[in-house]
Amino acid sequence: MPVVSQIQRQLDYSLIPSSTPIVIDNGTSYFRIGWAGEDDPRVVFRNIIQRPRHKTTGETVTVVGDHDPALFKYFDCSRSGPRSAFDSNVVYNFEIMEWILDFGFDRLGANGSGIDHPILMTECVCNPLYSRSKMAELLFETYGVPSVAFGVDGVFSYKRNQQLGVCRKDGLAVCPGFMTTHVIPFINGEPDFRGSCRTNIGGFHVTDSLKQLLTLKYPYHMSRFTWEKVEDLKVEHCYIAPDYFAETRLFQKGAPEAESKTRCWQLPWVPPPVEEGPSEEELARKAAIKEKQGQRLREMAEAKRYSKINELENELRGLEFLLRQLDQVEASGIPSFLAETGYVSKQEVESAWTKASQSLRKVKGEQAELEDKPDQSPSEKFNLIDVPDDMLTAEQLKEKRRQIFIKTSAEGRQRAKQRRLEAELERERRNQEDEERRLENPELYLEQLHVKYKELSEKIEQRKRLKTNGGHTNGNNQSGGVGRGERLNAAQRERMRLLTTAAFDRGKGEDTFGARDEDWELYKLMSRDNDDEDEGPDPDEAELIRISSRLQELDAAFVPKLEMGISQPAIEVPKFRPLTEEDYRVVLGVERFRCPEILFNPNFIGVDQVGLDEMAGVSIRRLSCKDQELEDKLTQSILLTGGSSAFPGICERLEAGIRMIRPCGTPIKVVRAVDPVLDAWRGASAYAAALQFRSQTFTKMDYYEKGEDWLRRYQLQYSL
Amino acid sequence: METEVVEAEMVLPSYLGFKKVQGYDKYPKSQSSTRRFKHLKQIIQSEVYPPDEPNYVSIESPPSAHPAKRVCDITGYEAPYHDPRTKLRYANTDVFKTIRALPSEYVQRYLALRNAAVVLR
Repeated sequence: MPVVSQIQRQLDYSLIPSSTPIVIDNGTSYFRIGWAGEDDPRVVFRNIIQRPRHKTTGETVTVVGDHDPALFKYFDCSRSGPRSAFDSNVVYNFEIMEWILDFGFDRLGANGSGIDHPILMTECVCNPLYSRSKMAELLFETYGVPSVAFGVDGVFSYKRNQQLGVCRKDGLAVCPGFMTTHVIPFINGEPDFRGSCRTNIGGFHVTDSLKQLLTLKYPYHMSRFTWEKVEDLKVEHCYIAPDYFAETRLFQKGAPEAESKTRCWQLPWVPPPVEEGPSEEELARKAAIKEKQGQRLREMAEAKRYSKINELENELRGLEFLLRQLDQVEASGIPSFLAETGYVSKQEVESAWTKASQSLRKVKGEQAELEDKPDQSPSEKFNLIDVPDDMLTAEQLKEKRRQIFIKTSAEGRQRAKQRRLEAELERERRNQEDEERRLENPELYLEQLHVKYKELSEKIEQRKRLKTNGGHTNGNNQSGGVGRGERLNAAQRERMRLLTTAAFDRGKGEDTFGARDEDWELYKLMSRDNDDEDEGPDPDEAELIRISSRLQELDAAFVPKLEMGISQPAIEVPKFRPLTEEDYRVVLGVERFRCPEILFNPNFIGVDQVGLDEMAGVSIRRLSCKDQELEDKLTQSILLTGGSSAFPGICERLEAGIRMIRPCGTPIKVVRAVDPVLDAWRGASAYAAALQFRSQTFTKMDYYEKGEDWLRRYQLQYSL
Repeated sequence: METEVVEAEMVLPSYLGFKKVQGYDKYPKSQSSTRRFKHLKQIIQSEVYPPDEPNYVSIESPPSAHPAKRVCDITGYEAPYHDPRTKLRYANTDVFKTIRALPSEYVQRYLALRNAAVVLR
């Protein structure tokens, strides 16, 4: 049951006689303060403080306990997280403790000078002397308290339950708290701390592990999983399975019981407004506009073409005219005739004419027969090749060599074309095969592609990483400055190595590098190394790009990995498909019983200590009483108390666990405290109301006179 | 201060009548409180423990005598296998696929749940 804070200021402080002790249960989770003899503490609040900065005035204020989160909007809480006076279960920060006591006394209604009542305060089992003495000092010096007593909260709870008849005067108190869990044996109504045992696991760890698991599973909703919310979830939904693995097997098999045990938390989700497709008119209008634009462009292109055709035709006609004129003119008069027009010889005019006519043909849309060119009479071109050398003149030899060259290059081109065709066919075939494979088994194919993609991307990443920081196997990229980074690049290292070995090869002390020519070959080696590296990744990268594009077409949920180095949360909801209601549902299945299980198995969190059930065995063993009867008496009255003992199923589990470690047939009885949360305070209150309480306290004089040793040995006698 | 904040009395007043020594006198602003106080580890170290009495350290529980249960890091099922590359425990092949697809940040967080993450500092 979630504890609700009560921080209403009490108004009857002055009415209470100063002999009435104030009872404080200074717990790691909640601070409870009240008057002795009463049934309930007057003031209850969370044992934390916050020191936010006020946004407008800028002053840092102290806020104790938990408050309405809406009021925090006036404060800048970014640098102030909640802080506790406790380290594990021991008070260490007395400044925070002072603030908490301030608040507690203030709400209790304290006024006047000093707190003039004896105080009974709870502490942890075997509280270190330092903490105890500092606390006593704080109470005496700062608050002027006349006398103080310290007791263990678990013991008070047991005594109260003993008075109520829930447990006997010999027994075990099992107290799972917030940060720690204790087991304290009782013999004749008094706790025997020699047999007590503490494991550093408590409700805090359960909540923390639940929070982490949920955030890892639903990173999208991380902001929803605040500490308070997760605690509420824990209190409401978590339970302890009687047998952990049997329960998980239920869930693994997907049995219907597992379905009934899963709880779903639906987060508010608003479906995005459906954009209505553009209406028919819109579409028609847009199509018409596009059509018009297209038409305009086409018209422009046509106009250009016509003008070009006209130009060319004009040119052609001009050239033809010129040619005809040339035919008429005599051969000798040609140069003078042509000097006016700008052409040097008849051939030029002819070639210009052919070019013009060709471009005209092209513009008019006839196919330019490029392919035919190299095939132009191959036989006549190469007529000289077959003729043996000695039968040709010098000029013809030159001609022959030229023809050989042309022929080989032509053949080369042919072969290249052939190879290209073949490659094309090959690719076509492979695509076909791919398609077939995809059609027959889409999932498998997709998986394979994913795997290939991942492998390739990893390979490339690794190579890139090697290039940029060669020996940096840990991610600790805090190299100072550019120099170090450069030196550690693998390629650079290789070069340094080559240089240094070359330098040392010479002789001792003398540096004659460079005297011989072969030495400079070294640099060729180094540059070759560098170049080789650059060539490498290209085929892989091309492959990667191909695969990623393929995946993008096939798999709607595929998100291509962007620049390596940026770690994206890959489990984020892929934005390619619309978010559905399901994404906003938090499912608590195995987590419901996995988190409280750590109370019994601290190994789940990595804490190497015994769990609740074994702790009882350890405790009994530590008592080292050879009395079998006493041990039986202990196991017959096992009390479960403390804030974290409220999980359903904990009693049965504890019983089963203890039965496993005790000899067969021992009587075992596990009972739960009447009120696991408040019983400690109630027990303390009843204790402080007793008449002999006074004798158990110590005053300021005692504290200063009797010294440290006495304070260490100080202990309450719990049965009054 | 805004009225609602004042009304709710959230803020701790700096002067309280029943205190003999006020906070601002006792703790000068100079030193931050975290360095003024010893943490638990230091407290334990500096304590003197007489041999026969139970003390804070001797009460500590021993490690478990039962063999540790191996639980899958991701699902919580029983996990007989572990992945040599990431050191995570997994229950079956589907979980294994998910593990191999996890970015390394998540791997570290899962390991940290178990207190098994390697912190390089």
